[in-house]
Amino acid sequence: MIEARNVSKFFSIINEDRTADGITAVLSVSLMIEDGKIVSLLGPSGCGKSTFLEILGGLQAPTEGNVCIDGVQVLEPLPSTRKEMEAYRKKYKFLSPLANRMWKNQPKHNIAMIFQDYAVFPWMTVLQNVMFALKLRGVPRQKREDKALVYLKKVGLADSLRKYPAQLSGGMRQRLALARALSVEPKIILMDEPFAAVDALTRERLQDDLLRLWGETGITIVMVTHDTDEALYLSDEIVVFSPNPGTIRNRFDIDVPRPRRRSDPELLELKSRITSLFKYDINHESEFSI
Amino acid sequence: MLKTTHQKIRGTIRLGLRELGYFFKGAAGNLFSREFIPVLTLFLVAWELLPRTMTMPDGRPIGNLVPPLSAVAVTFWDMVTNRGFLGDVADSMGKFFLGLGIAIVTAIPIGTLMGWNISIRKRVLPLFQLLSPIPPPAWVPLTIIIFGVGLPMQTFLIFLGAFYPILFNTYQAVKDTDPRYLASARIFGASELTLILRVYFWHAIGAIIMSVKTGVAIGLVMLVIAEMYGGRTGIGYVLNEAKDYFRIPQMVVCMVTLGLIGWFLIEVLKFVELKAAVWKGGR
Repeated sequence: MIEARNVSKFFSIINEDRTADGITAVLSVSLMIEDGKIVSLLGPSGCGKSTFLEILGGLQAPTEGNVCIDGVQVLEPLPSTRKEMEAYRKKYKFLSPLANRMWKNQPKHNIAMIFQDYAVFPWMTVLQNVMFALKLRGVPRQKREDKALVYLKKVGLADSLRKYPAQLSGGMRQRLALARALSVEPKIILMDEPFAAVDALTRERLQDDLLRLWGETGITIVMVTHDTDEALYLSDEIVVFSPNPGTIRNRFDIDVPRPRRRSDPELLELKSRITSLFKYDINHESEFSI
Repeated sequence: MLKTTHQKIRGTIRLGLRELGYFFKGAAGNLFSREFIPVLTLFLVAWELLPRTMTMPDGRPIGNLVPPLSAVAVTFWDMVTNRGFLGDVADSMGKFFLGLGIAIVTAIPIGTLMGWNISIRKRVLPLFQLLSPIPPPAWVPLTIIIFGVGLPMQTFLIFLGAFYPILFNTYQAVKDTDPRYLASARIFGASELTLILRVYFWHAIGAIIMSVKTGVAIGLVMLVIAEMYGGRTGIGYVLNEAKDYFRIPQMVVCMVTLGLIGWFLIEVLKFVELKAAVWKGGR
């Protein structure tokens, strides 16, 4: 279970005319995600949903509020007073609180993450990529290869073990990222617009693959997307974000049983309800507003 | 199928020979390409003929000052057989690799650490930024006073020439590592040590090899300067000696030798780059 309580994230920026300014990327977002669900965070670009996802994964510290996974805090809150700051310095020495330990590979939480631009390591082969992830999770050396092969087979990459990511197509790279994420048997997978960079046909196949693998494992999936169809087809719950500042606008539960048809009338009805939330505004600088 | 040690060794040797073959094919291919051979021939012919045919204003052949190719070749052979020139070359190369090697094994770790951690960077980088603008040849007098004339001083100067380009390029490339790669490794639980060895370093490898190329170029400059100012052996010393006795062909031999050494080392590094970054050009 993921619990986010009143999560806010502020950035300070410098404008073009050299004046300082603050940006509210995420404003008091509270969210509970139950185990084994697929939840989509839907919204136009710049609405803080990716930032929120990174906060869930512990890649960014929230300015306010906190996130717990199964009751364990993902990141301790940033210091606000001088005294706290000193304690913080003492604890982390010269490392960033976002970093792991210095010498020993040890994940903080049993989660995996998939990015839009794959983030598979281009200097490792397909097999090495998965084996590296397994190594980081402390899987003993002899078991790594077998385990990697199992998951690479599941995503259909068993023939490209010795290839480098540069030799793969975009869809195959995303499959590799998926295999790498699944191989460590996480409880939660966070996905940041995972299928945005592949063509429409490949995207549909990848979505089906994802559903199949999710059915086999029953992990929790939290997915950021700006594609309403994708969110409707995959998720148990859609959380719609609105920009400026990034907050939750609305939430929809989808009770349509799987396997779903993409043209299911119930989904289409829901789609029109969701898209009516986005109204096109030419006067506004951003493309959509809610 | 289990392989015996014998078979493994033979396999390794065969692989090594094949790679060596690829290297020479690639290096020679650049020099003896269909496009470049005419230019090279023209250059060599001009080198041979112009000094013999052209004259200076006072009527003497220009060859008195600029020796033709054949004279240089004859001098080279003479130097190899009578003067032990190859010994000088080997001597210079020994110093050069010692200096370059020390520069590589110090600059890459320091640069990586600076790129990896901001608090290390803030403590260390300004020092190098203050020291690096001093042109390496300006260190010569002080170095001679401190180390005296000889190997330590020469090695130090070569080290100094190669150190800064490698350091700064490594630092910059490591610092610019794509945060996505770091994030995905961190989520899987990578320790900082693993990140440095498996992510930062590999992300920067192309820039690091490029910087070693720069280091080789500046290191060769410093090799010649070091040997000219302090030493009894080496190419730079022979060059300086030839100057004192006005032996122009010997000077040209030294210059050509230095040029060939530089060319060869750059070719070696290009090959290493190709091998280390095989994942980049797989398309």
